[in-house]
Amino acid sequence: MTTRPGRSGSGTQRPAIKRPGFSLLLLLSIVMLAACGSDTDEFPEHDNTEEVLAYYAANPDRFSFKTLADLPSDLNWEDGMDQPDLGSPEATKGGTQYHFIQDFPRTLRWLGPEATGGFRAYILDNVTMALGHEHPDTLEFYPGLASAWAVEEDTKTVYVRINPEARYSDGEMITADDFMFMFFFMLSDYIVEPWYNNFYAERYTNITRYDDHTLSVTMAEAKPDMLYYALDMRPIPQHIYKDLGDDFIDRYQWRSVPGTSPYQIKPEDVINGRSITLTRDDNWWAKDNKYFANRFNPDRIVFSVVRDANNRFEGFKRGDFDQYSLDLAEFWYDKLPNSDPDVSNGYIHKSIFYNQRPRPNYGLWINTSRPLLDNKDVRTGIQYASNWDLVIDSFFRGDFRRMNTARDGFTDFTHPTLRARPFDIDKAQEHFAKAGFTRRGPDGILVNEQGQRLAFTLSTGYEALSDILTILREEAAKAGLEFRIEVLDSTAGWQKVQEKQHDITFSAFAVSAEMYPRYWELYHSSNAYDNAFLEDGSVNPDRTVKVQTNNLELVASRELDAMIEQYDASSDYDEMLALSRRIDEFLYDNASFVPGYVQEFFRMGHWRWMRYPEGFSHMRTTLSGSFDDLFVHWIDTEMKAETLAARRDGRTFEPQIKVYDQFRVVP
Amino acid sequence: MLQLNPETLKKLRRFRQIKRGYYSLLVLAFLMVLFAVGELLINNRALIVSYEGELYFPTYSEFHPGTDFGLSYSYETNYRDLQQVFEAQGSGNWVLLPLVPYSANENHTVTGIFRPEAPSRELKHYLGTDTTSRDILARLFYGTRTALLFALAFLTAVYAIGVAVGAAMGFFGGWFDLLFQRVIEIWSNIPFLYMVIIIFSVIPATFSVFVRISILLTVMVLFSWTSMTYYMRTETYKQKARDYVASARVIGASNTRIIFRHILPNVLATLVTFIPFTIIAAITAITALDFLGFGLPAPTPSLGELLKQGTNNLRTAPWIVTSAFTTLVVVLTLVTFVGEAVREAFDPKKFTVYK
Repeated sequence: MTTRPGRSGSGTQRPAIKRPGFSLLLLLSIVMLAACGSDTDEFPEHDNTEEVLAYYAANPDRFSFKTLADLPSDLNWEDGMDQPDLGSPEATKGGTQYHFIQDFPRTLRWLGPEATGGFRAYILDNVTMALGHEHPDTLEFYPGLASAWAVEEDTKTVYVRINPEARYSDGEMITADDFMFMFFFMLSDYIVEPWYNNFYAERYTNITRYDDHTLSVTMAEAKPDMLYYALDMRPIPQHIYKDLGDDFIDRYQWRSVPGTSPYQIKPEDVINGRSITLTRDDNWWAKDNKYFANRFNPDRIVFSVVRDANNRFEGFKRGDFDQYSLDLAEFWYDKLPNSDPDVSNGYIHKSIFYNQRPRPNYGLWINTSRPLLDNKDVRTGIQYASNWDLVIDSFFRGDFRRMNTARDGFTDFTHPTLRARPFDIDKAQEHFAKAGFTRRGPDGILVNEQGQRLAFTLSTGYEALSDILTILREEAAKAGLEFRIEVLDSTAGWQKVQEKQHDITFSAFAVSAEMYPRYWELYHSSNAYDNAFLEDGSVNPDRTVKVQTNNLELVASRELDAMIEQYDASSDYDEMLALSRRIDEFLYDNASFVPGYVQEFFRMGHWRWMRYPEGFSHMRTTLSGSFDDLFVHWIDTEMKAETLAARRDGRTFEPQIKVYDQFRVVP
Repeated sequence: MLQLNPETLKKLRRFRQIKRGYYSLLVLAFLMVLFAVGELLINNRALIVSYEGELYFPTYSEFHPGTDFGLSYSYETNYRDLQQVFEAQGSGNWVLLPLVPYSANENHTVTGIFRPEAPSRELKHYLGTDTTSRDILARLFYGTRTALLFALAFLTAVYAIGVAVGAAMGFFGGWFDLLFQRVIEIWSNIPFLYMVIIIFSVIPATFSVFVRISILLTVMVLFSWTSMTYYMRTETYKQKARDYVASARVIGASNTRIIFRHILPNVLATLVTFIPFTIIAAITAITALDFLGFGLPAPTPSLGELLKQGTNNLRTAPWIVTSAFTTLVVVLTLVTFVGEAVREAFDPKKFTVYK
């Protein structure tokens, strides 16, 4: 921009400026001194013990106090110790791992506003201990904080014995009181988490304390995964959170709380905006337990904030960061090819690991409340006009495969025969013609009798995948369909679809590794519209679109609602399976989701000092697949020194490019 | 029509004598001519198709489905393939393709994989292809065209508003001048780039690309018009104090006549010197916005977008960033030369040292 020049003189005389009076100076100084007042790091003392006890007394159905004598005698106790160990016995503790994060976490709380960011996994999901965890290979349960458990089907109750050795990182014992307090915590308004309030209110009906280390929890429904929800409970330390009150959000914004995780965050390691470090607790009570002894190996894990994608990769190549994801073809084949000197000299290892789990449902979600998109023929035509096979072959270089439904990867619950519609211009045009689009306009895009063009906005929040949209657009034009591309940043993109402002969006939900898929959030009419239907079942003309739900397709059908409600209420596995088939077939026919692609493995580049076990990892890992899922890796400090020295001197090692396909499922 | 007085003619002659600036201007003029006929030079539509005795000129017409030329599909004809088909058939039909037979939005690959390919003469990808196998020369050409047209439109709008407001301020003076000075001070303190990004990001994508470009232009002009007012105001003040303005008023000339007939022509000299630098500012701004991803919507070809692709693939596809960078440097340098020459030509002092 041309810079602003100095003001040109106007040539008129100005009256002499009066000096600010003494009184003004005094006023200013008083205001400034008052402003830089006390540094409010001090929160008032608070003890909520009375409140908690009163809450228990007020809800006797939910909180029961019994003794060991009341424990049923015929329980079938299991301890889950008969399964294969996790990780490698060769793992050594020690070393510092360096990794990057894209953005500094907004808070150190793991719930409440702004807590669900990428960093939460390192504070909660992947590091804290629950009563029991699902074994990633056998899918049975192994003990965490519990020493044994027993299921009583007819009363929908799970009995749990807590391991008397279990401790928090500050040395305090973990008791059944902490689990009762967990319910108080999760049901309170102080945490500002309506989702947790609802979950813990609906799913569990009772928790009973028998003694310090024995409890039972009763579920509302005897669903097939009842044991999972009972054992997945994580205690809340009552001795720390006794100050839970109205100021919870602020008080715990940057407070690192002792817990069950082997990694703690020291206050001096939180350098706001720059880096945050996890430090291993040498006195972790479970460090020699089966299933945990070979995991959580590095002494320190340093996360540095690097916002630019290129800088992250260059940092990795320099050795500043220990690993980098090579899922995208451009990284695996072009930026870090097998012929790259660091790879061919064996300094950087490349690994592909096939895993099994429900896949993120990447595809086109069509907003069926929009004009023209409410027409099923138009939607079916869009299905045939989306050339995902070309995207997979040319952009992903054939490494991925076509997704068939939004529920791929569920083993039993994935529909066995439904297949995504292939790219077929003739069929697409046939369906568009049925919807009234028979003529091509001057630019090749179909128009109907009223002169409307067959054009929709295709938006996404995935900037790295925006090339996919240009490919889809060029191919759809052949069928006479126009996609107007809109690439937003991830927050803006997500905001747009949550506000249901999209026509068609290219998105995916990360699907939890649960036993059976969830339908209610995505397809029930109560998540599409307020008052979707009138009393008699017909469509309510005054209905309004419901925002901030996951029903991105605005699917609202009474028939589907009935099936979903029956599915949610059922506790019979076979009935649920049959309903799931019917729901998937209904949705296929509805054609409001164009399945995209499925990635059946993850690809990783890591320096040779970052060691993994023989089999690399276990069957059910997350898709990013990096170390943070199971922490089975370890840092070999001697090897690191050796490698860096070798790199300087020019010594080489055997290149290692390995494919771990022991868990691969060939369709 | 403004009469060119002898002083102005002398300045133009001086400009022609500064070879560097003069030749830069000629090159730029030639470039503008090329842009005007760009579709005839770089396009995936053929120039002429002779099919069964009839001549077709697809460049500027409606699209021709493949069926028009005996092919089996109903979407737009691939004229390169058509040329191969005709040659194979040998039945007297022929196709005349442009010099670079690719469009800026077409993904073209012989390997089946979309990735950057090095420049290749046989394939006629003279500058190579970008990350989704689109021809770089085509994208550069149309991107530069968009940037230059954008800059010219920006220039016109900014000057129109700035000159009008500045002249009014200078001529009327008094409270009008004071008020507007305050307004301009406040307005010019709003950070340009941030506001453009914010406002443009809330524009919905349902508008066509052309409408969105116009909106972007409007927003940019909205935050840049203040710069011209300072010069205009000063110049008008200077001219207003001169005798000829007083004599014009004495004869009874209206304010409009005085401003447009007497003051503006004398002020023009100063204004002209700023034109090249405003163009540079506009090109830089639009390129910067595109680089950040907040400018022209995908898949519009643009210099900034190519630069972003280039920097993301510095190791693996260096030809992307070299061509984009060179083009940007060349265009800006040419404009700078012209600007410097104009400034020197319009400088009242011919010698800066007493001889």
